[in-house]
Amino acid sequence: MLATRKPNTHMTSVAAEHYRLLVIEDEADIRRAIGAALRDHHPSIIEAATGQAGVEAIDSTRPEMIILDLGLPDIDGLAVCRSIRERTSAPIIVLTARHGEGDTVALLNAGADDYIRKPFSTQELAARVTAQLRRSRVPAVEHETIVADGLSIDVHRRQASRDGTLIRLTPIEWELLSVLVSDPGRVFTHQQLFSAVWKRSFGDARLYLRVHVTNLRRKIERNPADPRLVITEPGVGYRFIETS
Amino acid sequence: MSSKALRYFDWALWIGLLALASFVMRSVRPNIEQSHAAFVYILIVLGAAASGEQWLGVLVAVLGLLSINYFFQPPFDTLTVGEPSDVLALIAFLATALVANSLLARARAEAQRATKHAAEVEALSEEVRHAEALREASRLKDMLLASVSHDLRTPLTAIRALAQDITIDGSRARSHAEIIVSQVDRLGKLVADVLDLSRLKAGGFSMNPELNTAEDLLGATVRQFSGVPEAHRIETVIDYSQPALVGNFDFVQSLRVMTNLVDNALRCSRADPVTISVAQTNGSLSFQVADRGPGIPAAERDRIFDAFYRPADANVDGGAAGLGLSIARQLAEAQGGSVSYADREGGGSIFTFELPAAKLDGELPIAE
Repeated sequence: MLATRKPNTHMTSVAAEHYRLLVIEDEADIRRAIGAALRDHHPSIIEAATGQAGVEAIDSTRPEMIILDLGLPDIDGLAVCRSIRERTSAPIIVLTARHGEGDTVALLNAGADDYIRKPFSTQELAARVTAQLRRSRVPAVEHETIVADGLSIDVHRRQASRDGTLIRLTPIEWELLSVLVSDPGRVFTHQQLFSAVWKRSFGDARLYLRVHVTNLRRKIERNPADPRLVITEPGVGYRFIETS
Repeated sequence: MSSKALRYFDWALWIGLLALASFVMRSVRPNIEQSHAAFVYILIVLGAAASGEQWLGVLVAVLGLLSINYFFQPPFDTLTVGEPSDVLALIAFLATALVANSLLARARAEAQRATKHAAEVEALSEEVRHAEALREASRLKDMLLASVSHDLRTPLTAIRALAQDITIDGSRARSHAEIIVSQVDRLGKLVADVLDLSRLKAGGFSMNPELNTAEDLLGATVRQFSGVPEAHRIETVIDYSQPALVGNFDFVQSLRVMTNLVDNALRCSRADPVTISVAQTNGSLSFQVADRGPGIPAAERDRIFDAFYRPADANVDGGAAGLGLSIARQLAEAQGGSVSYADREGGGSIFTFELPAAKLDGELPIAE
């Protein structure tokens, strides 16, 4: 089943900055609520009620953004996510239940870009969609310097400083920070961070990821007990705060 | 070995022993008296009786009697009794053997009865335990229903009335919507708590303990309250001069424990700060959430961790269904931790959440 909110003729006339959003969600009321929340900024919303219809809609409508519900009636959310990733590099935001940390991690590892827990606020959903679209629109340029909450990170020279004072980071803390700031706002799962930082297996090194993050925070955060730069996504991973 | 085979074995063993003893004693007959032989036969009778067969005991006793008479009473090797005193000896032997046999049989029957009785008592107490568990489950269900009648219906009533009013007059939509959102949040929290509680009761919570840092948990706790008007009252105390404290715990569930404790502390204290701190003591990470609220009266301390407990003077519309502390304690215990209450010096409460601490071995690995 595939329902298109706007007729195709209208879709082709949408201004260039309007993106096609595909919402794959089996509950009609939730689709309606998502549509109501996003339509002001994204008039082209395509709806699919099943995983099968969603995957088919990728090929037929080429959406620039996908919102995917985890609990679809026909196909497992992880399989849908993989099918979507095979077809498009458009950002995927997953709608997940409160107790589904394991599923969420699997989806992020499988290529989803962000997740939002039900019940969600519509403002939060709109903000996540906007952030993902902005990131996908801007090509992944290597920023020379990133400034966030008073912290200045010179990616090229591998230096971080606050108020002109250089912060001494260990090689591993620097690796962690550089992976996180390579895509500010993006959630990195523990596994993704581990793979990126350690490159190859170091036995129990994975266990120490959280200790290194804690040590990194002590050096770069204004108040490590209330971190504003490196944010914990409970049960999932970490992300660096959105900088723009 | 089957019980029947075992039985044949017993009979063969004791009759064989009797025959062996007779043969051995017969070969040294000049050196022993009939009383010595009688003692040996009594021993064999007792052994046979103790093996569990009363009739085996009787048979061995009779065979023993005949053997004494045949082998050890003159005239030897006949069943003739020579002296009247020999008759008396035979009667004494038989009586002793039979009485001992009968006493042993009775003791064995008593023991069997006692074992059976113990099994019955055990079965009965198992039933009682089961009934108690059912009663507890039923009590919980009753309390849940009682709570549902108020905690679920109140927000539903408000939401319905406000939404209906919007359909009549759309101009009030904005102010009504704000109340609807807050009521829905209240409902959502209650539904989540009730689900958690029933999953905890059913043992359906899977814990995922990993090496985590106390600071990460504390920071995530503070972040849970970002955007909440009361968040500015939360203070944290961490000793940064020491290496990060680490423990083995489930991060997500421990975060729920901390969130429930801080939420409770914020609600109980009106304007004073709520202080969160962490320390390591005796192999445990000890998180403390301290408030300057009224504290818990001594009479109610045992009940604060009960599901649906609400203080006697609590405002029923306060939005709390009395599940937070119960869930916190159960989530802590499910991962080998605890949650306890203590009075705070100078007034207020301290809730302590303990988790198993961990130790880092050696240097942290360095990336290449």
